[in-house]
Amino acid sequence: MRKGKNNRLVLLGIALVSMVVLLCLISFIYLPHDPNNMNTLDRLHRPSGEYFLGTDQFGRDILSRIMVSTRYALLVGLVSVSVGASIGVVIGSIGGIAKGVLQSVIMRIIDGFMAFPGMLLALMLVAVTGKGLWNSVLAIAIFMIPTYARLAYSLVIDQKNELYIKAAKSYGATPLRIIGKHILPSMLPKLITQFSSSIGGAILLESSLSFLGLGVQPPNASLGLMLSESRQFTLSYPYLAIPSGIVLVIAILGFNLIGDALNDYTVGRRTSA
Amino acid sequence: MVKYTINRLLSGVVVLFVISWITFFVLTVIPGDAALLSLGTDATPERLEALRESMGLNQPWYERYFSWLTHFLAGDWGNSLFFGEEVLTLIMQRLMITVSLAVFSLLLAIPVAAIIGILSAIYQDKWIDRLARTVMQLGDAIPQFWLALIFLVFFSGKLGWFPVPGFIPVEEGWWRSIQSLLLPSIVVAIGLVGYLIRIIRSSMLSALEQDFMLMTRVNGLSSAQAVFKYALRSAVIAPVTTILMQLAGLLAGTVLVESIFALPGVGRLLLVAVEQRDVILLQGTVMFITGVVVCVNFLADILYRVINPMIQFGGERNA
Repeated sequence: MRKGKNNRLVLLGIALVSMVVLLCLISFIYLPHDPNNMNTLDRLHRPSGEYFLGTDQFGRDILSRIMVSTRYALLVGLVSVSVGASIGVVIGSIGGIAKGVLQSVIMRIIDGFMAFPGMLLALMLVAVTGKGLWNSVLAIAIFMIPTYARLAYSLVIDQKNELYIKAAKSYGATPLRIIGKHILPSMLPKLITQFSSSIGGAILLESSLSFLGLGVQPPNASLGLMLSESRQFTLSYPYLAIPSGIVLVIAILGFNLIGDALNDYTVGRRTSA
Repeated sequence: MVKYTINRLLSGVVVLFVISWITFFVLTVIPGDAALLSLGTDATPERLEALRESMGLNQPWYERYFSWLTHFLAGDWGNSLFFGEEVLTLIMQRLMITVSLAVFSLLLAIPVAAIIGILSAIYQDKWIDRLARTVMQLGDAIPQFWLALIFLVFFSGKLGWFPVPGFIPVEEGWWRSIQSLLLPSIVVAIGLVGYLIRIIRSSMLSALEQDFMLMTRVNGLSSAQAVFKYALRSAVIAPVTTILMQLAGLLAGTVLVESIFALPGVGRLLLVAVEQRDVILLQGTVMFITGVVVCVNFLADILYRVINPMIQFGGERNA
């Protein structure tokens, strides 16, 4: 029964993520209007046949802007998590195979980073990298490093004393080969699980930074920025605040659900083995 | 216990030391020139040089680090470049608002999370459990700033249940002051509920699986008696420590809400520091918040150890 429920949640997650990906792909082929075109005659136009989700205070088409925004959301999610995860895994693996002082130094620094509340670390990193799309990608990538370093470290420590690793060592495999050929593949399920949840987190973080004016810069469209730009107008024109928020929730929820389901799956497989 | 406390204290000090190093390194060594970072590229060379001199940027980084750390420990956190006032004073002026916000939201979140969490553990896989899991998932996925925006438009704007955004100081009346913090607290609380349900639910589930729960039934207690007298007592420990840690984390977790509701708290100060690239203010605020987080985590850990053995061995001691 649990298995069936789990499958349904995975399907829901995949469906939600597909919706966002589809929106993003369509945006490259077809946009109803130019997302950055300010049409002052049509400002704050309520949803209609011409403007499916209405227009904002500059007369820009909201649907087109949301479609373009999904590009940034997915881009930031995928790129920052991939970069952060790769660097984190390398650092964590080095921490895992290193001995003595090097190991303690690496792990204490990771512990230090983990002690920062999430938003604080993100803000501190943005203060250094600066505003803008790529700077926030960089900040979020650095933000992700400690989590993956910790995960990789604990997985390497777990595997280090397994018999098959000792066997590999005994016939003279180098540490690099052991990591690449034996330990890394065994890490993959856990890493993929973490990856999916992190993308949800990264999208949330990007939208929060953009909302605060620290991420994607105007006139470009980002889901967080759109909500922040329309702030003064939402009281009289509530339609401005609804669609971009819903797309954001769909994207984050989708990746989180897939991550959770994968997590249950990998944990379950481990206990049954 | 004493040995554990000392060990834990030492590792806490090490973490604080590492944090101070990270903060210093990230904010003043990596950007290359903290003076340029603070003043921007259009600053005059004289001003840059003066700031460099006052920040001690012309010395090697390790000397700067130790001089900064010793001043910091002595309570001299420097003057904010943007406000021109002492960093510590600026933080203290704003601390009350953020702490009130954090406490109010926890007071709102705990009862709701406790009821849903406990019931969802007792009635696992029933409708209340499904509700709890939905709340947890949505709590993780709904951006706080969006919720804040919607609530502001709906409850404050359309229905007029809450005052317009902005903080009303205590001097203008206790009730009005609390009212101005109520809607932001509700928004923060909703974000916390999902997280707290998760902790309470899993803690309660593991308590219900304990052997002593079977014994209570064997001894003839009704299931309600068993839950209230034994399971709850053993399930309460993990959430208590988590709540303490959450409280500390909220010092930085209210940035978005403070910004939307125009509350002049620590979160807003942090945001100003980031926007203005006020390195000195940022250093102080970051160190303050992480310092509180590490200290509270330490206390929560010790507290956990103090409560835990009593519950585990309490029965034997009484016998």
